[in-house]
Amino acid sequence: MFLRLLFESFRRQKRRKTVALLAIALGMSIATAMIAVGTDIGDRINQELRGLGANLLITPVEDTLEVNVGDMNLKPAGEGAYIPESSLAKIKGIFWEHNIKGYAPFLSAQESFSAGDRTFKAELIGTYFAQPLHYGKQEFTTGVRTVNPWWTVEGEWPEDYATWPQNEGQPPAVLAGSKLAQQSGLGVGDQVEIAGRKLRISGVLNTGGPEDQAIVAPLHIVQTILHLPNAVHRVTVSALTKPEDAFARKDPDKMSPAVRDRWYCSPYANSIAFQIREVLPNVRVEQIRQVEQNQGKVLSRVSGLMLLLTLAALLAAALAVSAAMAATILERRQEVGLMKSLGAGNAAVAGLFLTEAGFLALAGGLIGFVAGSVLAHRIGQSVFGSAIVVHPVVLAVVLFAAVLVTFVGSVGAVRKAMQFDPAVVLRGDA
Amino acid sequence: MSRRTLLLRLLFKAAWVRKDRALTALISVGVVATIATAALTVYSNLEGTLGREFRSFGANVVVKPRSASLTAEQLRRLQEQASAGSRSVPVAYVIATGPGDTRVVVGGTELRNFREMNSWWSMRQDAGMTGTALLGSKAAQQLAPTGGAFELTLGDKHIQLSPAAVFTSGSEDDSRIYLDAGDFQKLTGAGWQMWLMQVEGGPREIHEAVSKMRSAVPEAEVEPVRRITQTQTAVVGKTRAVVLASSIIVVILIMLSMAATFTSSVLERRKDFAVMKALGASNRTVNFMFAAEAAFLAIAGSAAGFLLGSGIAFWIGKVNFDAAILPQPALLLPVLLASVALALVASTAPLRLLQRIQPAGILRGE
Repeated sequence: MFLRLLFESFRRQKRRKTVALLAIALGMSIATAMIAVGTDIGDRINQELRGLGANLLITPVEDTLEVNVGDMNLKPAGEGAYIPESSLAKIKGIFWEHNIKGYAPFLSAQESFSAGDRTFKAELIGTYFAQPLHYGKQEFTTGVRTVNPWWTVEGEWPEDYATWPQNEGQPPAVLAGSKLAQQSGLGVGDQVEIAGRKLRISGVLNTGGPEDQAIVAPLHIVQTILHLPNAVHRVTVSALTKPEDAFARKDPDKMSPAVRDRWYCSPYANSIAFQIREVLPNVRVEQIRQVEQNQGKVLSRVSGLMLLLTLAALLAAALAVSAAMAATILERRQEVGLMKSLGAGNAAVAGLFLTEAGFLALAGGLIGFVAGSVLAHRIGQSVFGSAIVVHPVVLAVVLFAAVLVTFVGSVGAVRKAMQFDPAVVLRGDA
Repeated sequence: MSRRTLLLRLLFKAAWVRKDRALTALISVGVVATIATAALTVYSNLEGTLGREFRSFGANVVVKPRSASLTAEQLRRLQEQASAGSRSVPVAYVIATGPGDTRVVVGGTELRNFREMNSWWSMRQDAGMTGTALLGSKAAQQLAPTGGAFELTLGDKHIQLSPAAVFTSGSEDDSRIYLDAGDFQKLTGAGWQMWLMQVEGGPREIHEAVSKMRSAVPEAEVEPVRRITQTQTAVVGKTRAVVLASSIIVVILIMLSMAATFTSSVLERRKDFAVMKALGASNRTVNFMFAAEAAFLAIAGSAAGFLLGSGIAFWIGKVNFDAAILPQPALLLPVLLASVALALVASTAPLRLLQRIQPAGILRGE
């Protein structure tokens, strides 16, 4: 009997049921889309913040002071300590390897160049542009093109030569800083000479920083020129990190093993720095505080904003669904009156209505989840250029929320409908 | 009873007799107006509020003289071009020799402002540090490992200094020493080499300020710090886009849901409709009755929603940005008009369906 009532109610009141279903599905697609976007936004903005460049700096422990001002680097190339280039790939072997977006080694010295009959002094900087490397079975590409995304080149990026190219007619390609190029009249295709070796300018580099006054060359070319094989002065690392909190600043040496594990397994800048020190001996790893301290603030503001907007949207969706449910049930008080006059108890009436609401909630939640996933996908595609994938756990959350919200909306209305005297309702006076 | 009072009475009674129905309709409109107002208010304020967060990244524009130094007059003209709240700090560098023939970069600046601009520095002040020089952590290790006084030499000039504090920045500044203008003058006698400016505002304001400064003082080389301005553009732009896209989706979906509820409740009132028609009301009058009721509810609901939505936006600003997001009065009219239009469409569209049926048929229950 109960099942029949239920079935007939759906069959005969198609319009009412469609409206309720529509309202639930719409509300739940809002919930799905907002939860998906809200939980994903942190990662997306973190990726965008990598545009600030590296957030960790690796230098040798036994280093002397840096002596560089603007475009001048007065530290002689032979002074100070070095990090062996060959050991750098180990950075990709730490616990948080997937959070390392890339790293760029640097080796630099003040040198004299000649172009035609002119000579000029400039800093010679060696680095990776997009160097393919492997660590164990991992293949990856790293260099300034990923670490310093604000570097732009007019012309072509040089390749990362493994050794000095033997072809005489085609000297190795390098970049000339934009200001240096302007002052010294250098352009794409020109050749410069340093210590009897020829270099070809393949592009003009614009960074808005001191590199604009330098010659930037592939690392191995600079190592050959300076006679410092396998040496780098410093390495900058760009890593995805979690904003620093009080726990992150604790000293790992003073922690209990369990707490230390938790610290070690959180992607704080400090714990990533700690892990890099473990694989690279004799280096100092420091967070670049301008980037690391401030990006966390921006990140938490954006995530906080989306969290609050998500909450507001969820609340609005819940209200809309409740209102829709209440409206459809309130219109059915004649039915309630009829059932009651035929002898149905309050429990039976409420049971029927709530079961109906439950079915509607599940169906609406499912439709809403699918529609919401599509919407989240679209937002990801259009704003970030990559899809936002909705976690399956969200389905459970959405279904639960749908049932909860429809019940809350229904219960009040059902109670209200039952308060009326059946005779009055049936006469149409209420 | 005049026609007008009758109409008012009908409208009022329709809402009063079925309070719950009127209330659900009111809530539906109110929810749409609230969420639309909150989202749009936050969205229109986002460039300012989120842009302010980038203030902590320090200087976003660097000004250098093309030759010699800039005069006070030129500097004043430059500062005038930047938006209100912008700051600037002069800096100059020399390379001096410290104890043990260590070469060290010495920067002269207005220390207090410079520290404020580099807010990310972590400062350490050991007991007994009462001097005037700010030492980078690496420089401190080499020049004053015990925190005591040391001497700097530049050419034939000497200056005795002791540290005020040691800072860590994680950049090449850690190898440097910063002095206040007075000490720096004693050591070098040289003028300022550049000005670090922090232009207040979003990417657009910074861009505008840079081009205005360039044309106002052609003797100065004005460069934005692209690393910071570009990231600011990307982060603020993408956040705005996400907020806008998700708000549009939320508002449209809630509007649909509300329209469905509205339409359905009008259809439930087919008996009212039939009674009015049977008593001799024309289609126009009935349409007008239903539309007036819907418009009345929509105005009340959206006005309440605007207030509530502005409140939510203000609260979001307070909680998340520590800044007030003020209500946008310009939003009131669009929100009001859109709600009324929506309610009118949602309430009169189903009437057209009913008009096809004979009132007698509806009254008989067909």
